[in-house]
Amino acid sequence: MSIEKTEELILNMGPQHPSMHGLFRMVVHLAGETVTNIEPKLGYLHRGMEKLAESRTYSQFIPYTDRLDYLASPHNNWAYVQTVEKLMGVEIPERAEYLRVIFGELARIASHQVCIASTALDMAGWSAWSYAFRDRERICDMYEMTAGSRLTVNIMRIGGMSAEPPEEFWPALQSFLDDTPEMLEEYYGIFFGNEIAMGRLKNVGILTKEMAENLSITGPVLRASGVDYDVRKAEPYSIYERFDFDVPVRTGCDSYDRTIIRMDEIVESIKIIKQAVRDIPGGPIMAKVPKVIKPPVGEVYHRVENPKGELGFYIVSDGTTKPTRLRIRPATFINLQMLPIVAKGWKIQDVVAIFATLDAVLGEVDK
Amino acid sequence: MFGKGLLQGLGITFKRMVGPNITEFYPEEKPNLPTRVRSSMGLERDKCISCNMCAMACPNSVIKLTSEKNEANKKVLKTYHMDVGRCLFCGMCAEVCPTKALKVTQEFENAIYEPEDMQWDMIKRAERKGKVE
Ligand code: SF4
Ligand code: SF4
Repeated sequence: MSIEKTEELILNMGPQHPSMHGLFRMVVHLAGETVTNIEPKLGYLHRGMEKLAESRTYSQFIPYTDRLDYLASPHNNWAYVQTVEKLMGVEIPERAEYLRVIFGELARIASHQVCIASTALDMAGWSAWSYAFRDRERICDMYEMTAGSRLTVNIMRIGGMSAEPPEEFWPALQSFLDDTPEMLEEYYGIFFGNEIAMGRLKNVGILTKEMAENLSITGPVLRASGVDYDVRKAEPYSIYERFDFDVPVRTGCDSYDRTIIRMDEIVESIKIIKQAVRDIPGGPIMAKVPKVIKPPVGEVYHRVENPKGELGFYIVSDGTTKPTRLRIRPATFINLQMLPIVAKGWKIQDVVAIFATLDAVLGEVDK
Repeated sequence: MFGKGLLQGLGITFKRMVGPNITEFYPEEKPNLPTRVRSSMGLERDKCISCNMCAMACPNSVIKLTSEKNEANKKVLKTYHMDVGRCLFCGMCAEVCPTKALKVTQEFENAIYEPEDMQWDMIKRAERKGKVE
């Protein structure tokens, strides 16, 4: 007699689980070790951000945006304040634009370092984790000396920046930029070049180009599936058209490429920061905006390239000091759609790998 | 060759093992935080002109203050209360304060045992701090 079928096992992973990156829960249906279905369960970190915005003034909502994708809070500030500026028709000073690019790209590096570290950790690579986090600390230090906080930075204001970086910021930034080649070499040596990591990630969780496009995937996950799309190039915002940089694209479509593409992006971010530091003009960092912000009646949508993908804000204004409606288009919430589709048929340990390479941040998913 | 990557990784960890320490020995050694760090709030009562700007800038209604008129018909601060349990430590209040009476401070060891301890009477706190120093 042969065993034809094992009984289906339902395994509950999360919300408190080391590899669930926050408060994500998935109900995994298993036949033996093979995944037959995944039901993602969201909402454990839901704070009602969109509703909160309706009872806050435009400026008061900036600190809340920090708490969306908290690994790259300057980007959320940036997307939000630019949306309001677009609605109001405010031009911001040159220096503020350059500072925004510098902090935005630093945030991209920091966020990718966390992605690399946590992917390594999910593959049981404890020491690889500490290397990327060690270097991310230096970026947090730079945030801290400029804006006063390490995670929820709250660095941008409608019309410019909250503060001019202090004197010690520039040498710290320079030494960070100088050390990056060595850092990346270390990440490669300790994680990406490791045979176990390769074995766990290569050819695991294939997301084809067609699937990625049909699922509206954005960010590094999309670019690792061979699609050359980046909001910074497709619809340049801020001053990105002034910088010379490439959009890294990989065609592996697997978990390995989805992770290592972030190394390529760090290299490009360094390039952008170097150019920004070279070209940054002097001058004010705040435009002349009224104390009480009252955008004209209307609606606006604006999007930026967050480290994890396309982050958009949609605001409807009725001419008062508070938005009538604010909608957030989070990158990872939409990227997360691929999980049940891609993970089907893989083993339980591969699900952890696939989820890790998505780099989901639940602050943004649950809002 | 299989295993080359593993050896390379071990080489890196070994190099770092004999290299300098990068960790801080908190709490034996206290970190020297930059002056912009917003881990607590401090009020200088004499500087405050009771303009209520801080309370209006706050996104989460943390600050409640009352004032009274003195003989010269000038507003003076009577009570200043912060419900820190709701505070985001965003620093927006200190940013708008016209006289810099309210400032961010760097005391980060704010852990408490009782929920009532989250209600800060800023005037009392300032007086207490003055005595210790
Ligand atoms: S730090 Fe922010 S939340 Fe706290 S009292 Fe000041 S404005 Fe309000
Ligand atoms: S903004 Fe400053 S001066 Fe005005 S009430 Fe608040 S602490 Fe006092």
